[in-house]
Amino acid sequence: MARYLAGRIAGLALILFMVCLFTYLIFFQLSPDPAVMICGKTCTPERIVQIRTILGLDEPFLSQFRDFLVGLFAGRDYGSGANLIHCPAPCLGYSFQTSQSVWEMIVDRLPVSATVAVGAAVLWLLAGIGAGLLSAVKEGTWWDRTLMGLALGGASIPNYVLALSLQYVLVVHLQILPFPSAVAFSDGPVLWFQSYLMPWVVLATGYACLYARLTRANVIDTLAENFMRTARAKGLSPVLTMRRHALRPALTPITTIFGMDFAALLGGALITETVFGLNGVGKMAADSIAKNDQPVIMAVTLLAATFVVVGNVVVDLVYTGLDPRVRIR
Amino acid sequence: MSELLVVEGLTVTFPTTRGLVDVVKEVSFTVGRDETVGIVGESGSGKSMTSLAILGLLPRGAVTRGSIRLDGVELLGRTDREMRRVRGEQVSMIFQDPLSSLNPYYTVGLQIEEMYRAHRGGSRKAARKIVTEALTQVGIPEPERRASYYPHQFSGGQRQRIMIAMALVCSPALLIADEPTTALDVTVQAQILRLLAGLQRETGTGMVFVTHDLAVISTIAARVLVMRRGEQVEYGTAEQIFAEPRHEYTRMLLESIPRIDDEVAS
Repeated sequence: MARYLAGRIAGLALILFMVCLFTYLIFFQLSPDPAVMICGKTCTPERIVQIRTILGLDEPFLSQFRDFLVGLFAGRDYGSGANLIHCPAPCLGYSFQTSQSVWEMIVDRLPVSATVAVGAAVLWLLAGIGAGLLSAVKEGTWWDRTLMGLALGGASIPNYVLALSLQYVLVVHLQILPFPSAVAFSDGPVLWFQSYLMPWVVLATGYACLYARLTRANVIDTLAENFMRTARAKGLSPVLTMRRHALRPALTPITTIFGMDFAALLGGALITETVFGLNGVGKMAADSIAKNDQPVIMAVTLLAATFVVVGNVVVDLVYTGLDPRVRIR
Repeated sequence: MSELLVVEGLTVTFPTTRGLVDVVKEVSFTVGRDETVGIVGESGSGKSMTSLAILGLLPRGAVTRGSIRLDGVELLGRTDREMRRVRGEQVSMIFQDPLSSLNPYYTVGLQIEEMYRAHRGGSRKAARKIVTEALTQVGIPEPERRASYYPHQFSGGQRQRIMIAMALVCSPALLIADEPTTALDVTVQAQILRLLAGLQRETGTGMVFVTHDLAVISTIAARVLVMRRGEQVEYGTAEQIFAEPRHEYTRMLLESIPRIDDEVAS
């Protein structure tokens, strides 16, 4: 187990290092000169040179990349003398737009993205698995056809269309929900719930439809397994047959997909957050891309990659607990 | 000797896109207490459907006619709820592929235990003792420890032994074995056959042994029913069928068994 974990963590570190290298390469080498961007409209050539020195942009790529990595783990200093700025670890640099520490921006916005992701996940798991189960058990009936038709439709609606339609109907027209904003739970649970309800529903819809189809397919496959015939031949009650013998084999594979989807969402739901104006990591990503704010783009990319890679390992570990045939050596 | 199972004029019909198809036609046979009856036939002959019909486990849409009486009590036309008390308790079944017939997610101990408790109730602790006994009976070494193993941790022969232990845990009056040795190696096949025959002598269980293999039947069954395309081709004692098969098809089946004294075609 310890050896397995060590191996996985080493692999994880290697992947993240590669992600760092490539994003650094792309954003810092292929995009416009950051010094010019920071300098703004009233700019002198001397000022540009000065900024380049402070950021270390005059150094070769590899030493810049080394400084970036060191900053990530040990912190780094920009400039020197009276102008010295210390960036504590984990240092992701400063936004070109607002001069805020990128790490602090992330710490600030991650709870919003996490709230969106967790709420949506609860919704889509309940709705998706529930609908999928019902569909599978009633295979071929109008229940099944209606639910699967809805699932196909739901999966086909773009996020932003659904978001704007909901906003128009529920907020503007019926006025039963407030306009969504990143309200903290401590500001009042009811307002918090109302504010996040639409983002949850919008984000969950696509996933729920996908999970409904997945669950249906898995359950139908499991019901056709030989061990289900054995369970019936043993004289077990239909409830026990379904709950114990069908559900676990049918739902275990969904854990894998869920782990991946959820991890990716923690890195920010770009469209949903932007449409609803929620200040999460996803909106931060969208804004930074629009304004070419390179340190922020880098940080968001790294963050999303980290979640996905770590999520992968977590899924594998969880799987060993769920499927007895999967064992760690 | 009163008969344990009496099947009369059993007909199983499936609706298909080309109309109704009889997969079993007018099949009749009887099984005495502690007697083994073999059902032989090629794939699609309706032998598995006949055995599933006894337990009321036919696929959805199948229509069954005729009569299946267990201990004089009619089984056809019973509700699923009533049949649940028959399944496992009075009639149990073992299948061809023991690996896929056991649920990979649960220990074999739990899978035997849940069957016992579904019919007899009682605590898990009491059931665990029964499980150990059942596993001992079928020759699984270290039964107490092995009860907490998962199906994939056993060999094919051991898995079939576990299926047999499970089938017999409620001491049913009738055991239906649907091709129980087909998926196994020849040497393991012989062991499982010996085990089944031994357990049957010990417990006095009646048995329906379904197979496509006449050689296997000859070692285990007293009476044989030969089926082809859902129809009963021949029915009689094993000696009679092997010595003087009356039907052309039975003769063909017998001739298809390779014999050790056959001349090798050059």
